[in-house]
Amino acid sequence: MLNPTTAEATSVKGQAIHVGMGQIATGDRSTQFTSVLGSCVAVVLWHPRLSLGAIAHVVLPQSHGQNGQPGKFADTAIPTMLEQLASMGCPKPGLVAKIAGGANMFRVGGPLQIGEENVAAIREILKRAGIPITAEDVGGTYGRKITFTCSTGEMLIEVAGQKAKVI
Amino acid sequence: MTSAIATNRADIFRPLFAAATHDASAAMCRWTDGLITLTLDEVREIPLHSVTSELGFADDILTMVILGVESDPGTVLILTFDEDNARQLAATLTRRVRNTNPEWDELEISALTETGNILGCAYMNALTRLMGRTIIPSPPYFVRDYFASVIQQALAEQAAASDVALIGRTGFHREGEALNWHVLFVPSPEFRRMLENAIRVKPNDG
Repeated sequence: MLNPTTAEATSVKGQAIHVGMGQIATGDRSTQFTSVLGSCVAVVLWHPRLSLGAIAHVVLPQSHGQNGQPGKFADTAIPTMLEQLASMGCPKPGLVAKIAGGANMFRVGGPLQIGEENVAAIREILKRAGIPITAEDVGGTYGRKITFTCSTGEMLIEVAGQKAKVI
Repeated sequence: MTSAIATNRADIFRPLFAAATHDASAAMCRWTDGLITLTLDEVREIPLHSVTSELGFADDILTMVILGVESDPGTVLILTFDEDNARQLAATLTRRVRNTNPEWDELEISALTETGNILGCAYMNALTRLMGRTIIPSPPYFVRDYFASVIQQALAEQAAASDVALIGRTGFHREGEALNWHVLFVPSPEFRRMLENAIRVKPNDG
């Protein structure tokens, strides 16, 4: 298992990459991405023909112009992922998305539902970018551990006390 | 190198966290008939992307009791237990034989939740006294899930303001032996400012 050492995007061949809060990583057909999610959302952009992919571990919906890790905010993460995929020779046409996470771990009602806000922001940004979401597993009040395999485009989702599933 | 600098910057909060830990330890000692005591392990700023690994939890599924702060939903206290000792504590408190069923029963959950409530109230009462502001904990609740999933929601407000997270970590001891239990105190940016103000007013307190 390889951990990116900084918040910068990481491109590694033949490795499992653990993606922490606010990080972005890219990889090819030999790469797997892993991440554990609560209210955060993992966005994976994947090109089925080229088997190239990028993942962001999004923490918050909007950057409001703040500097910092681009992967931390939905509105800066997705454009950065697209730039990084383009630099690998991966065009935007043909990309598909899978998303997971966006839970409410503290089970409280009210206006501060960061998980839901993250999911809504990501859906909107992907829609504007013309990238279809082909599968998602979002919401609820429980954590998720995901493993995305760039060679197949499969996302394994593990939840404590439940049977794992693939989307 | 970055971690060392961040640790030093967070050290200004140590007297307040140590005083809160002291009061929580006294409460815990009474609750467990002198069995369990607490000590402040560390107060650190940790890069967001490596919080779980630097705290040593990686992708672990833990038993946790969570308390928030009324009127400040961004501040959270998380009590984490390893499974074995949490079961033993629940058995001791309920005066029953240790439950070997994988599912936690209502009485066990109640015992751990009450433990979190007593400990959290003592911790926050100490901060109330030191900060000169009333800090009321929200009702505690029991969670068994990925630690990373819980801590990332706790850190959401800090993440909006910074790429590093301030966390105070307290350890537990049973008859002098360290347990794999922890209290993690995660203040919101607003709470952090209040802590800083309290330090300026009482620089030698604690």
